[in-house]
Amino acid sequence: MQLASRIYDANDISAVQELYHSSGWTDGLPIVPPTAESVEACLEWAMMPPDQLIGIEPVRGLAITAEKLAINAVMAGCLPMHFPVVLTAWTAMMQDEFLMHGATASTGGCAVLVVLNGPIRLELGTSGTFNALGNSDRATAVIGRAVRLCLINLMDVRPGVIDRSTLGHPGKFSFCLAEDEEDSSWLPLHEQRGIERAASAVTVMAAGAPRQIMNEWTTEPKEILETFAAEMRANLRHYSIYPGNYAIIVPKQLREHLQAAGWTKTDIADFIHERARIHRREWAEVGKGAVVRDRGDSVYPAMERPDQLLVVAAGGPAGGFGAIIPPWLGHKSHAVTLPVGACVDCDPPKK
Amino acid sequence: MIFRVLDPTAEKAPPAGKLAPRLDTLEGKTVGFISNGKEGTKGFFLHLDRMLREEYGVAQVVSRTKSNYSAPADARIVAEIKGWDAVVSGLGD
Repeated sequence: MQLASRIYDANDISAVQELYHSSGWTDGLPIVPPTAESVEACLEWAMMPPDQLIGIEPVRGLAITAEKLAINAVMAGCLPMHFPVVLTAWTAMMQDEFLMHGATASTGGCAVLVVLNGPIRLELGTSGTFNALGNSDRATAVIGRAVRLCLINLMDVRPGVIDRSTLGHPGKFSFCLAEDEEDSSWLPLHEQRGIERAASAVTVMAAGAPRQIMNEWTTEPKEILETFAAEMRANLRHYSIYPGNYAIIVPKQLREHLQAAGWTKTDIADFIHERARIHRREWAEVGKGAVVRDRGDSVYPAMERPDQLLVVAAGGPAGGFGAIIPPWLGHKSHAVTLPVGACVDCDPPKK
Repeated sequence: MIFRVLDPTAEKAPPAGKLAPRLDTLEGKTVGFISNGKEGTKGFFLHLDRMLREEYGVAQVVSRTKSNYSAPADARIVAEIKGWDAVVSGLGD
């Protein structure tokens, strides 16, 4: 296998770390040295030649190859089996509707939320239960980190360069979770979004930081969902009224009440679409009176359509803690779901 | 132990983004403004318009605003650029 990337020699592991940090090639954390052997192992697992074109970034016209994604995936700690997910996430991010350049350059400071569905979650040992939005497992930690390192190194999405975020958020280190499909009667997210259930799939969304809610004081579906909707209304008031994809993370304790009452993800989305909306005049209550102008009576829903709500079953077995994950800037970037591709008619690349 | 490690960057400059040849003078020229449409652009471009006409003898200023401030300029705006001698693309943050 012929790799095209420039090679550097470093005397020891400390020298590797200093080379990568001082060159601006990291997120500030130590990296795994991307040797030719480790990068080739990723490419072989995905059955891709190094110069396989994964896509051309639509705004700046940068060609993204499998080799470069693999180098960054290794740096993030990915094993070869994690690499197809990184490939799929990046393929999804390069779709026009995701607006990768805008989403990753914006002062708004969003991260790329990656949601995994299908059998690959189990193959990779992901966990959608305890600490689902935190450091829940190795696979989601390194996949999310790989997505960010690729942005840093392939798109110059470095703070103060292309990344103009005012604040950013901790999800910019890694923001990946797996849906808890085994402990849910709902359709998995990928099936809800039109992918076959048996397939593995990746959903990417330009996302703000999670906003946690808690309601352990009811079993009524509408009351539970009202808490989620209220947090979305808060986001509409305090952040942005642009409608678009929101995600909600529903833990076992809350979804058991919803599922027992027969509520599907579609029912949930329909209810929240009706409830998560504000009048423009409410902005005057939170210090934004200057932009209400003569449109105080205008109504702004969090989503243009109910199917823009991504309902994800995840979280530990106990606790009425859910989360809403708001969009970067509503309709400017759309969530994209793609199946994890399998090369069924090609041979592995020759060494 | 020597580590032989690989460059994680694109290693190639983006194909776009080269500057157009510089103009010798602005006098009598047509200058286009492409605003991202944010609030901060309004005062800036208003002032720049006046400065270019009054101090640099620019013949005409054409102002255009993108429909999405986070995305590239709309095709209809890009198509107009050929008719301009210079472009000022401005952000309002």
